[in-house]
Amino acid sequence: MRNLILLLLALLGLLSCGLEKEIEIKLPEYESQPVLECYLEPGQPFRLLLTKSAFFFDPFTLDNPLETFSQLLLSEAEVQIKYLDRTIVLPNRLILDPLSGKVYNYQSEEKVPNLLNTQFELYVELKDGTIIESSTFLLEKIPFDSIVVEKNNQNKARVLTYFSDPPGEKNYYRRMLHFGSLDSLIQDFTTDDSFADNQLVFGTSFDYAPGDTLINTLFHMTKEYFDYYNSIVNSSNLGGPFIQPGELTVNVFGSANPLGIFTGLNFVRDTLIVPE
Amino acid sequence: MNSIQHLFLFTFFFFFSIVLVAQNVTIRGTLYDRENGETLIGATIYCPEFEKGALSNEYGFFSLTLPQSKEKILLRFSYVGFSDENLLLPGDKDTVLNIKLYKGIALQEVVVQADSDRERLNSTQMSVANISAKEAKLLPALFGEVDILKTVQLKPGIQSGAEGSSGLIVRGGSPDQNLILLDEAIVYNPNHLFGFFSTFNADAVKDLKIYKGGFPAEYGGRLSSVIDVRLRDGNNQKFSASGGVGLITSRLTVEAPIVEGKSSFIVSGRRTYVDLITNGINKANASNPDFNPIPGYNFYDLNAKANYKLSDKDQLFVSGYFGRDVFSFNNEFFNFGFNWGNATLTTRWNHVYGKNLFSNTTFVFSNYQYDISNQLPGFSFNFGSSVKDFSLKNSYFYTLGNGHVIKAGVEATQHNFSIGRLRAGNDDGSLSFTAGNNLKGFQWATYLSDEWEATSLLKVSGGLRLSGFVNNNTYYAHLEPRMAAKYSLNPILSLKGSYARMAQYVHLIANTGISLPTDIWYPTTENVRPQLSDQLALGMAALLGKNIFLEIEGYYKNLQNQLEFKDNANLFVNDDLENEFAFGKGYATGMEVTLEKKNGRIQGWIGYTLAWINRGRFESLDGSKIMEGRYFRPRYDRRHDLSVVAIYELNRRITMTSSFIFGSGDLTWLPSGRAYYQGIVGENSRPVTAIYGDRNNIRMPSYHRLDLGMVLKFFPSWGESDLTFSIYNAYDRRNPYFLFLQPELQPLEVNGEVIAELPVGVSARQVSLFPILPSVTWNFKF
Repeated sequence: MRNLILLLLALLGLLSCGLEKEIEIKLPEYESQPVLECYLEPGQPFRLLLTKSAFFFDPFTLDNPLETFSQLLLSEAEVQIKYLDRTIVLPNRLILDPLSGKVYNYQSEEKVPNLLNTQFELYVELKDGTIIESSTFLLEKIPFDSIVVEKNNQNKARVLTYFSDPPGEKNYYRRMLHFGSLDSLIQDFTTDDSFADNQLVFGTSFDYAPGDTLINTLFHMTKEYFDYYNSIVNSSNLGGPFIQPGELTVNVFGSANPLGIFTGLNFVRDTLIVPE
Repeated sequence: MNSIQHLFLFTFFFFFSIVLVAQNVTIRGTLYDRENGETLIGATIYCPEFEKGALSNEYGFFSLTLPQSKEKILLRFSYVGFSDENLLLPGDKDTVLNIKLYKGIALQEVVVQADSDRERLNSTQMSVANISAKEAKLLPALFGEVDILKTVQLKPGIQSGAEGSSGLIVRGGSPDQNLILLDEAIVYNPNHLFGFFSTFNADAVKDLKIYKGGFPAEYGGRLSSVIDVRLRDGNNQKFSASGGVGLITSRLTVEAPIVEGKSSFIVSGRRTYVDLITNGINKANASNPDFNPIPGYNFYDLNAKANYKLSDKDQLFVSGYFGRDVFSFNNEFFNFGFNWGNATLTTRWNHVYGKNLFSNTTFVFSNYQYDISNQLPGFSFNFGSSVKDFSLKNSYFYTLGNGHVIKAGVEATQHNFSIGRLRAGNDDGSLSFTAGNNLKGFQWATYLSDEWEATSLLKVSGGLRLSGFVNNNTYYAHLEPRMAAKYSLNPILSLKGSYARMAQYVHLIANTGISLPTDIWYPTTENVRPQLSDQLALGMAALLGKNIFLEIEGYYKNLQNQLEFKDNANLFVNDDLENEFAFGKGYATGMEVTLEKKNGRIQGWIGYTLAWINRGRFESLDGSKIMEGRYFRPRYDRRHDLSVVAIYELNRRITMTSSFIFGSGDLTWLPSGRAYYQGIVGENSRPVTAIYGDRNNIRMPSYHRLDLGMVLKFFPSWGESDLTFSIYNAYDRRNPYFLFLQPELQPLEVNGEVIAELPVGVSARQVSLFPILPSVTWNFKF
């Protein structure tokens, strides 16, 4: 009898395997769109990445990496960013930032000035004559009030990051927490101030030992960037019953039918070493 | 009697005094099960001499008016599963009767279906399906858990929401467009465990009736269906207990007379026990530092009901339901709890005025809430939503001598919504976060309907419901006409038609395709207008031979002020939820065929539905306005739906059952394009960011499944018991639960530097939920 039960259990186990399988489906046709990402970070050069989207079932081949990369990038566009009475031209050149690992294919030598509440206007003319346009501005940095380290009886630490939400207009934030270096992201989320009376706090669990390095970053986001980023996160789900997908919420427009974001990016960053 | 009742009765009698006639006799009373004193709903009272009949109402009450006669009149009382009763009654005076029917010894010995079918054929009511708890208990079930809502899904025109879910899609309506009543109390979330089990414990349920169209005027408040679940009253003859032990839950029901023959109570509970096992495992591994505790989960239900017969004309009922799903995850640093559930209380007074006016006065309390809490050292977080209703209803049922049956009533409900309530902060109070809205709404309705047998061939019914909703200074009112007619072409064939307008004043905010406890009910406001539907149905009903009933119906339903959520809507902590809504239109059309055999050794039905559903003209649905002004098909636009159900009573001990369903695949929304998202310094790139086009652009593979069951009965000296075997998905079909796209990524290196990860292959994957699942449940009764 015992053997029979074991046999039945084994049979059930076998039957319950294979609950996931590959199937053939036909996706609707899709026409490629330009995708632009430009973050104006004070002190950094004016730079952006201009790529093109693809039909979902058109994968890359990596036999010739440079050729493959050129399939992704959108070249030979004329890119300008205007602010006040200045016009910055961003030449088409491929730049790899070795520190951050980020790639840009349009970059100027000029640095982004920390001009708050000044309109920056983007104008891009693609090789085919179609246009991408957008505008944005830089928001003020929101400083940390305090960063508190608390320890439990096992000498494990947690970090509480406090900051005050300025009254008045609605504010949007992105919080990042890195462990050790900017390559190791352990917390990344956005929030608005709708349920904060005044001060907000972000915390960790008791996971850190003395000597650990934690890098706290608080971005003050524009509403457009907040919406865009959240739609990107939402669109990273590629099906399933628990999500309601949607279109990307972009702030770039024009005859090129573009996707992407053009936003100012101001943030505060603090590096903390957990004390003994 | 209060002043409202006086006013109402005055209006009522004034309005209808013109049709009062003499020269008739009225036979009224209540039909009971002799064994336990339960009232019988939908039992048939038939007079062969005058070829007139009536059905007992949801309280077991009947009233039949016949021409006066000097001779005695033969009346036949019949009910499925019971032996019929023939009585000779005086033909020259009114009679009050309480009839007790005997249960048939076995299903095949019951020969009373003909009367029931005849009444069905002659009724103006169409688009209705009935399921008894007894039927549901025979049929095979997922994990052996009898689920009366899932049994309803086997009827044509009613689809399940997702695999294993008890959510209902009725004639193209979304799941929130179903009015689910448990002893007249609204059940806002009829699901346990994301819809895999319904909140209705079959041991406590007497009867379930679902209206898909042709809604009687006494029902309103939802667009697509009314699911009227009635709890058992309890055995008023003797103490009785029943229960069962299954793979997922155990159940126990106790019922007994309080005063024999006059009053009784029933208490029924069930509980899952997976958490008892996981708790044991957690405790056994408590000393193992590498062991991750298993989160605890359980759900439980408690139904209770008592009734007291004050006199031949008065009866009081009190019934209640309390159910909770409880999820918890605790460790030394973390204390997370998530619980949700419904609570209802119904207090009902039935009274009979004179010889044929039946009244029902009901007070109802209903509450649904969920709470999420988390406590960390020094901090706490609590989030939840709730809807709490207080309702008062007063209804009348009046049988006139000239073929009129009048129904009238008033009802009022005070809704209290707590939406997205958040409290968070630290222990010393220096930090505190709050969010959420408290909204109120007052919903009211009054109605009047008349069913009139104009000739022996033509029966018509008409009703008018006036409903309204008040929220702050916003007022809405809608007239909801209801009409139905039946014309008998011959004794075995009737043509039927109906029209019904429905208004819905509360709306479910649900962002995914499955039932989540965090779905929020939201009231009609200045910006959120009531949903409206107009449904026209035409059909025929026919008796084929003695045993087989055939119904064919076609319907068209127009939907207004339908809710969708804008792309990327944030519905979780959002004080401005209305900004996430988009409003549009919809329509559904289809045809349903039912072939049913409800008596004999082999019983069952075949149901087929052919349907189309569309929604559209939503403003601001997406940022680029792609969908604005256009129609799209909702996820549950299922073209074909077939169900075949068979129950075969082999002998007194063994009953074999099976059900087979086939449905065209549901729709799903998959991306058609992809983009490379690099992001900012410090964040990881997303090489495959989906670009979604039109909604619901892919049809999933079709769904089909065969379930088999067997009930093996035992008759020990102490009572009776059975072993119920079920095989869910007998041929182990891998049905689609959802689809997703899976890219294969590889790093792209240039001069030794990885500059990006790129997709080098993409596949579409299908996830199924349940393979073949055998189960066994032991049930007992004494």
